[in-house]
This record gives sequence, C-alpha cells and structure tokens, in this order.
Amino acid sequence: MKRYVWVAAAASAIVIALVMFSARSTSFEWRIPEEYPIPQVPADNPMSTAKVELGRWLFYDTRLSGNNTMSCSTCHLQELAFTDGQSRSTGSTGALHPRSSMSLINTAYASRLTWANPLLDRLEDQALTPLFGDNPVEMGMAGRDKEIGALLGSEPAYRKLSQAAFPDDEDPFSVLNAVRAIAAFVRSIVSFDSPYDRYLAGDLAALSPSAERGMELFFSERLECFHCHGGFNLTDSTTHANANIDRTGFHNTGLYNLNASGAYPEENTGLFDMTGEVRDMGRFKAPSLRNIAVTKPYMHDGSAATLEDVVDHYSRGGRLIESGNHVGDGRLSPFKSEFVNGFELSDTERADLIEFLSSLTDESALIDDRWSNPSEQ
Amino acid sequence: MTSIAKTTMRRTRLTKPLASRFLIGIGLFLCVACSAPQIPVNIEFVATWAGQPLRCGETAVSLTDLRFFVSDIVLIDANGGEHPLLLTTDDRWQQDGIALVDLENGGGACLNGPPDIHAVLSGTAATDDVEGIRFTVGVPFELNHANPLLAVSPLNDAAMHWHWRSGYKFLRAGVATESDGFWIHLGSTGCKGTVQNITECHYPNRVKVELSEFSPDSDQVALDLSRLLKNVDLDDGVRSDCSSGLSESSCGAPFDALGLVFGQSASPSKTQSVFQVNH
Repeated sequence: MKRYVWVAAAASAIVIALVMFSARSTSFEWRIPEEYPIPQVPADNPMSTAKVELGRWLFYDTRLSGNNTMSCSTCHLQELAFTDGQSRSTGSTGALHPRSSMSLINTAYASRLTWANPLLDRLEDQALTPLFGDNPVEMGMAGRDKEIGALLGSEPAYRKLSQAAFPDDEDPFSVLNAVRAIAAFVRSIVSFDSPYDRYLAGDLAALSPSAERGMELFFSERLECFHCHGGFNLTDSTTHANANIDRTGFHNTGLYNLNASGAYPEENTGLFDMTGEVRDMGRFKAPSLRNIAVTKPYMHDGSAATLEDVVDHYSRGGRLIESGNHVGDGRLSPFKSEFVNGFELSDTERADLIEFLSSLTDESALIDDRWSNPSEQ
Repeated sequence: MTSIAKTTMRRTRLTKPLASRFLIGIGLFLCVACSAPQIPVNIEFVATWAGQPLRCGETAVSLTDLRFFVSDIVLIDANGGEHPLLLTTDDRWQQDGIALVDLENGGGACLNGPPDIHAVLSGTAATDDVEGIRFTVGVPFELNHANPLLAVSPLNDAAMHWHWRSGYKFLRAGVATESDGFWIHLGSTGCKGTVQNITECHYPNRVKVELSEFSPDSDQVALDLSRLLKNVDLDDGVRSDCSSGLSESSCGAPFDALGLVFGQSASPSKTQSVFQVNH
C-alpha cells in the first residue's frame, strides 16, 4: 500500500512538473493594464517567455549583419524609444536609407508596419526586410540566411534557447524560427505607463496644468490632431485582439509640393510607390505619438528637427520650402489631407501642446530590463 | 479518345471487376502509345553585351549581377506543336517547374551573388524536333506570394525575394562601366491584400519570351544587356537603378525593352527585345 502511495506521489510530481514546464514554455505575461486590449498574435507564432527571450538575444546580436557591425538595436535604441535619433538611418555597409527609423514601442498594435506599406501587417514579414533587403542594404544578410540557422544550432546558449522556444520542432535551428523569435520580442515591447496613461487611469496630478491645456488643444476640432493620431495608441492605424475591422490610415500632410504638382521627392513618394495610384502621392502612415518627445527628428524622412517644427508645420497647414531641390508650398498640395488646414496658436498654446506631447513618454519603457541588451545584464 | 472513354463507362456500368480491369489495362496501353516518350533537353543561357560574352569584371562593360527565374517553358516543333519542358528537379536550382538561372559567379564586379552559376536548364520534352522556345521570366502568381522561409530551393533564396513588396525578384541584372552603372530588380507591383494574403497585383511584370529558329542542340538563349539598357544613359556618370517602384522614372526604359507596361505610361501588347537566340 505504501508503495502505491509513493508511485502516485511520484506520478503526480511528474505531472505537475510537466504542467509547470509547458506553462512556462507556452505562456507569456503581457503586463497590460486591464483597460487596454491585448495585441493580435499570429496563430503560427504564439507568444512564450522563452521565445521572447531568444528574440531579445537575437535583437541585440551583431552577427545578424553581414559584416557583424550591426544588430536590430543599432537603429532601434531603447533609450530613444527604439529609434536612432537620425533623420535617415544608415545600413551596415554605409547605405543611407530613404526613411527614418520608427519606434518599436507598441508596434504590436500597428495594423500596418513601416511608413507606407499597405501590404505589411505582420512583424514576422517585416523582420525580413532589414535582415535581407538590399535596396538599401540594411543588415546585409541576403544570401546568408543559412548562417542564422547555423548560429542558433552551433552556439550552446542559442541551442538551449531555441529548443525552449520551439519545443515541438525537431530541428528548431532555422532562420524561420529566428525571425519568429525576433518578431515575438518586438511584439512584447508594450508600454502604457506615460503620465497621460496615469492621468486617464484617474491620477489627475499626472499631467501639469499646461499639459492638460495641451491635451484639450490636441483633441480639439480646431487643431484636428486626433483624427489621425487618436485612440489608445495615438494613431489611426491600430489593431488589437478584439478588433474586427481593418483600420489603416495613410495621409498626405503637405510636407512637399514639388513643381506645384503635389509630387514628393522620388525616393519617398509614400503609398504611391506601392500602388501607382495618383491619389496616393505622399501618403504616409500616421505613426503612434507615444514617446514622441524622445524620437526626434520627425516625419518619414526626418525632415522636421523638433516638435516645435512639427507643430509649426501643421499650424501653417503645410510646409513651405523656399530653396534647394524641394522648393514648393505644401499648403497648396492637391493631395493634402482634409484635416491639415492650419490653425492659429498663441505662444502659450504652442508650449502647452508640446507639454502634452511630452507627457506621452513612458520613461520606464526606456530602461525596462525586459527589453534591454541581455548581454549587459 | 472521347469515344473510348464513353465505351469504357458503358462497359464498366455493365460491371464485372475482371472486365473493368481488362479495360483499365487497355486504357493504360493506349495512353502510353498516344504520348511520345520524354526526351532529355538542355537549354543553355548566356549573358551578352552587343552580342559579345558579358562577364563579371572582365570587359569594359562589366556584369554586376544576373539572376532570374524561368517558368512555363514550352518547346515548339516544326509543325507549330507545343511541348512543355518538364524541368528535372535537382532540389537546388530547379524545382516545382521553376528554375533559377544564375549567370554571375560572384567574382569581379559581381559583389552580391554566390560563386555558383546555373546556366543550363535540364529537363525532358516529348519531342526532339525543336524549332522554337517560349518561356516566362518570373514566378507564377500561386507560388509568388507564399512565405519564402517555408519555400523549397530555389524559391528560398532570400536574395531573390522582395520581403516588403511580397513576391520574388523575377530578375536581378546590372552592369558597370568605369564611372557609371545601372541595375534593375524586376517583380510584381501594385499588389493588393497583405503580404501573406495577396489577392492580385495590378502590374504582374512577368516577361513573356518567344524565340523562333532555336535548336537546343546548337543554340543558346542570350540575354543581351545592351538591349535591356538601350535607352539608359551609361555615360552621364550617374549610377542609377530601377527596383520596379511605381515612382521610379528610371524604370521606363528597361521595362520597355522587356515588353512591360511601366505604371500608367507605356502601351501594352509589346514584345521583349532583350532575349535573343545565339546561334
């Protein structure tokens, strides 16, 4: 009888251990406040703590570039809300990218990724462009994709992480899994602890009176900022686990008007380059304004240096460029969004608006250990 | 054939397993008899510049890249009969009816490609009386927009894929002179849907090639880059390129040479002038 008890105890211990192990390898804790939704997660790439951890190591690993000089983090620095502070980013071989590095915070909620791509809706697909793209070369891994699988299989730490992240795969050491892990890591970078979030949660002291006045301006029909930068993620290109309607907004904000034809510079025509439809000239996605104060310079090509420049651009209802290659008055562009009409702002109001925009920064996200370089911990 | 099928149906309905087995045997015999045996055929591709061989860094005009996908290959016999070329699967360059032709060897000015080349396609066809060839430069729509990380070789070559546009680069080609150069990446554009669920592409950009007076035994299919770049200025000292984007004015001339409509400008139903027969 005693023996049976022991056998039963051992069996239940094994069952409990298995349950705990499988829970550990498949579950993931988002740490999202109750009032915000959970992001969409592709069915073929469920989140797990182990997978996110593998992705974190890969995100910071320069061996993911052809000449071992660059990792994902080179253009996505945590302290700058995962941007790089440059107007346009530079690839591993020195090629200048036509566009500015975008913040990765809350991209889990982006209905479309990058600046102007109506096709790109999964981080798993997006990750391939910086890794393998050659126009411009970013990380320069085109034709070297097997090296990534080999890295997972050869280095003991990566072997262990890969097996934990993909426990059902006979051979988990593949570029496909590396990309899935990086996507899972980026998807895990979710933040809702800015002063503005705390204010919405009931802590009315979280915003200064100036920021509060700026918030009123931001959400006013007079300034119309919120038409494109509304919702919990402050962009109209937002989706989440409970969203059933595909919402993506691309807008021409009157930054350029070459030859008075509404044209944008050829290397940056936005949606037009993808569709070839004239009405899509200069249409770009409205980025999330979360952490916007730490992600200068602004716009798809980094052509606005400061938040003041951005506010002045919208206040004028389009940008006037008086000299150089891009001469033109964006205010008169035939393709400009109907919400970019210009507005008068007093100096105090301008300062209040910027104060509000600065309250959208979640300082904790800029130093959170979950997303920092694991080899420096 | 129709009458045989009808007869078979009627008899089978009359039943008896033995009778039906007999009829299946007859059917198989007829089928083998009616289709000629498959004969091995090799198709060789070469890169040329104004008719002369073009290589990576050995000539005044140097090749910098030349890789492309070929599909839907049909051989045409003296009577105009059409015979599909069945590509032999080698798990590397040729699979699923698609072949990757690679005419650069990674040397000289060809800085982006691997050292291996694949110039000769091998397959079989039901004729050895070939007078012409037809093929498509491109990947068929059904295979073009699947996940490249799950694809089999040669469709798993990341350098030939356009991750942000979805789909493959059907053709990568480029040349350099001492102070100038041009390259083109060709693929479908104006696609609708999302990367994993593309429904259609407004500009498929697949190149249709049809060549007559072609014998696989003695001739080669030449891709003449001087014809591709006929209206591209290679003396202005400005290195330019075309990656099929709809705002790239530099794409007009090479698209025209490939018989493709670029954006809303050019006229349809043209024929390509880049591929020729090298006797």
